[in-house]
Amino acid sequence: MAVRMNPGLVDDLARYGADDVTKCFQCGNCSAACPFSQDPFIFPRKPMRYLQMGLEERLRSSLEPWLCYYCGECSVECPRGAEPGETMMSMRRWLTAQYDFTGLSRLFYRSWKAELLAILLVSLITGAGFLTFGFLRGGGDLSVYDGPGAFLPAGAVHVFDWTMGGALLALLLVNCLRMWRFTMGGERRPRVPAGAYLRHLLLLPWHFFTQKRYAECGEKRPWATHLVLMLSYVTILVLVMFFLRDLQFGPEIRWSVHALGYVASIGLITTASLAIRGRLKKDAPYHKHSHESDWAFLVLLVFVASTGVVQHVLHRAGLPTAANVAYLVHLMGVVPMLVVEVPFSKWSHLAYRPLAMYFARLQAEALAARAGRPAPEPKPQLAT
Amino acid sequence: MAFEPRIVGFLCNWCSYTGADLAGTSRIKYAPNVRVIRVMCTARIEPTFVLKALSEGADGALICGCHPGDCHYVEGNYKTMRRFAALKRVLRTYGIEEERVRLEWVSASEGARFAEIVNDMTERTRKLGPSRVKVQRAADTAAR
Amino acid sequence: MAEERIGVFVCNCGTNIAKMVDGAAVVKAATEMPGVEVACAYKYMCSNPGQELITRDIRDHGLSRVVVAACSPRMHEGTFRKAVERGGINPYFLEMANIREQCSWVHDDPAAATEKATALTRASVQRVTHHQPLEKRSVPMCPATLVIGGGIAGLTAALELADADQQVYLVERQAQLGGNVARLDLTAPYLDSARDLLRDRVTRVTRHPGIQVLLESQVVGLQGFVGNFRPTVKIGTGELLHLEVGSVVVCTGYQEFDATRVRQYGYGRLPDVITSFELEAMLRRGKVETRAGKTPRHVAVVHCVGSRSREFHPYCSRVCCMTGLKYANEIKSAIPEAYVSNLYVDMSAFGKGCEDFYKRTAEARTIFLMYEKNQAPEIRLAGTDPEGGMLIAMKERLSGEEIEIPSDLVVLMVGMEPRRDSDEVARLVNISRDKDGWFIESHPKLDPVATTTDGVFIAGACQAPKDIPDSVAQARAAAARILAKIHQGMIAVDAVYAEVLEAHCSGCRVCNELCPYTAIEYDEVARRSHIISAACKACGCCAAACPSGAIQARHFTDQQIFAQIEGVL
Repeated sequence: MAVRMNPGLVDDLARYGADDVTKCFQCGNCSAACPFSQDPFIFPRKPMRYLQMGLEERLRSSLEPWLCYYCGECSVECPRGAEPGETMMSMRRWLTAQYDFTGLSRLFYRSWKAELLAILLVSLITGAGFLTFGFLRGGGDLSVYDGPGAFLPAGAVHVFDWTMGGALLALLLVNCLRMWRFTMGGERRPRVPAGAYLRHLLLLPWHFFTQKRYAECGEKRPWATHLVLMLSYVTILVLVMFFLRDLQFGPEIRWSVHALGYVASIGLITTASLAIRGRLKKDAPYHKHSHESDWAFLVLLVFVASTGVVQHVLHRAGLPTAANVAYLVHLMGVVPMLVVEVPFSKWSHLAYRPLAMYFARLQAEALAARAGRPAPEPKPQLAT
Repeated sequence: MAFEPRIVGFLCNWCSYTGADLAGTSRIKYAPNVRVIRVMCTARIEPTFVLKALSEGADGALICGCHPGDCHYVEGNYKTMRRFAALKRVLRTYGIEEERVRLEWVSASEGARFAEIVNDMTERTRKLGPSRVKVQRAADTAAR
Repeated sequence: MAEERIGVFVCNCGTNIAKMVDGAAVVKAATEMPGVEVACAYKYMCSNPGQELITRDIRDHGLSRVVVAACSPRMHEGTFRKAVERGGINPYFLEMANIREQCSWVHDDPAAATEKATALTRASVQRVTHHQPLEKRSVPMCPATLVIGGGIAGLTAALELADADQQVYLVERQAQLGGNVARLDLTAPYLDSARDLLRDRVTRVTRHPGIQVLLESQVVGLQGFVGNFRPTVKIGTGELLHLEVGSVVVCTGYQEFDATRVRQYGYGRLPDVITSFELEAMLRRGKVETRAGKTPRHVAVVHCVGSRSREFHPYCSRVCCMTGLKYANEIKSAIPEAYVSNLYVDMSAFGKGCEDFYKRTAEARTIFLMYEKNQAPEIRLAGTDPEGGMLIAMKERLSGEEIEIPSDLVVLMVGMEPRRDSDEVARLVNISRDKDGWFIESHPKLDPVATTTDGVFIAGACQAPKDIPDSVAQARAAAARILAKIHQGMIAVDAVYAEVLEAHCSGCRVCNELCPYTAIEYDEVARRSHIISAACKACGCCAAACPSGAIQARHFTDQQIFAQIEGVL
């Protein structure tokens, strides 16, 4: 069954950051340099070839782009300057847009103006919404931060958080199902029995929480930095979702809760700032290219973390009005960040990558079983 | 000891001798039974040369020239073809087997082909056995 | 005849001969051969000390004949003839036995190889006793040159010679000069104009006082020999011109492969499948469009059409890869929104600036698709409408996928092949063609412009597919060789020729019609045949035919050959 070429695919992916892919002449140095590229998943060469040739359906059903942690070794080795590392990153952006059924992801990735507009719009709506709520249904008084008369009572915010969280999660789950359909459905894929799904289910939380494979990629520093960032974020998320009342509690401090908050905030701000600095100085192969979505993500993160700290400091300093204003500003950052990033942009990788690792193992096993061979153990092959 | 045929080769300078040299530079191995005499063109070869060779005890004679149309002297190989046909008739009347004398075209780039021809002719001549002329000569010498 | 004093010199050629042939055994056997005065072995007979050895031994032992058992005479006969001459005897008193190319290098049984080497040496010893002293002759060299073909190679050769104040006759069968380069728009890899390149040359050639340009003309006959050729040219009016030249340069170029022969490409059937030359015509007109006059959005360039193929021509046509890239660039600049795919087998970017050109073409978003040599793509209509575009089906090797490429215009990179009349030309000037039909050079590495016929040179694509830089280089090389000969003024002609022993000639005239060089004339008065030695090429067919044995082929006499036959058995 012949596949129809779509020569326009390269132009499309160029909008997602893949400017140099046509320079690739398929020598395979990148796949040889990659510590994780091994049968049956060869990357970056194979997905790059699909892209060059405009084999859209093949690229859409590829897991390879997600099996990469962007150590950048491939780009270093490429003799033609085809930037395989950044091309893989662009493919991840494109795939995110493909999995998203709303079409918003595609819009945001292709137009930074649209993304900026969306962020500002959501921010303004959030600000207006909370202000209105605060005056009409909340405490009504901007100078009351905590307690039952708070301008923004923890209970109400809590309900809002869970509603928004639920909606975003639902969106993300639908997109994950689409990912499954693209990558695991289809006649070309090997049939994976239901039992296998259950047997390897623990891979999901394993990859999600440890990103252990990232550690085996080469240098440990990027993995460590990312892990701290992620754990800091998860900590704050858990605190906000489950312990909002304790966070907002005043005037005494619940030190047990706040201590975690402090550590996590430091972690978040430090690692995000390191990333921004790295991207500005282009200090590593994976920092050489920055798409607008990369900046948006980091800037929002730093903004949200900083405003969170500021509003807490103001609260503790006994300036409730200022604290409320800061809190409002903080929320005007948090909501657009989550709404734009989680289902539609960079943050979605928190779901797609662990899923891809899981699916990849299932496929490798199924293929090996079909050929009567033992399943290959995904071990890093580092050049000595 | 196995019979080793002795074959005289007449090779033209421009094509077949060069082709045989090419077999050498390419280190292609072949049987050592053919001993080469160089002429400028196969057209130089009189049928008497072949008869002389056979009468001196050769078990076979191999003539190699340029492919028709490619003769360095334009048409020498065509003349050889005609003479060769006449020679074969003469040999038949002498009772000498036709396969003992062979005319082949070998170009300057056909080193491998030359080797093949030498090996093939050596084997065929080996199967034919020693030439009657040689056997008779040996008998005559012994008798004297 | 006085007893000859023969010296036998066996070369070991390092280990080339010594590895398989026991030199000492050959020397020992040689000392027992009749007439052999001295026999020895040396490691490199062609080296200066080796040659010295021969020269010295001739003097010290009063040798009258020399046998060198070593490499092929085609290699070093000249070297040893000179050494023998320095020893004070005639250079033709040398005979070589080929115990390397036709012995040590081709046998793997040392005993058999040594026996054969001994036999070959004995044959040479017996032959050399019958050698006659022969003298070299010199004939004056006519400084004019005939250049056949007015393409880039012919124009270059003509200019090079004429600029050195020599007379040139440039014969071109078409009504204009320029050959195949005149059909091009731009050249790879720098994309400069072929027109500009050519215009300058053509103008200079046409205006040059030293070049007589004969358009719509053809060489119909070539008599004579190096330094003294007599070509006959049929010019446009039908009149025959008789010229006198000293050298001939053949620059007849190539023709393109007929793409209809590759049925699966549909050339001739599908209106929008065109050849590279047809695209050049479009580019020269300034507009790339389909047969229906539409601007194509998808263009495919197919490499290796008729080349590197089991079915058509096994060789590579050398220029098409870079030309294919040239088209990708030209089409993208003519139609920026078009998608261009190059379907190739291997990318041959061997020349200066070519690898960079390849990279730039890739950066310009050209898609490169690789197919396997003997699994050519198939081109068909996408639907039923001939204007509805085409689909190219191929097995793409780098992805392993069977794909379909939408195309509005397909350009076939047709290969080069020898011209239809190249066999006639070869016969006319007495040169050979190889198995693919290209003219054969004297030596593929060391002598690419000379041929086995002295005075006849080849330059350009008629020798093998090549690009413009190499054609120009060869044309200049041929011109340089000719100028060197002109500078010497005289041509040394080989001392080997045939002669009639008048006393034995019966006047039967069998030989008269046999000579391909018409070198034999009949003297009506004396009723004898006579050979013009200057015209004789020493093929020997007359000597073989003479019923009286009156014709002696010098250096290849019956006596010498009989002696060789006796010795070899």
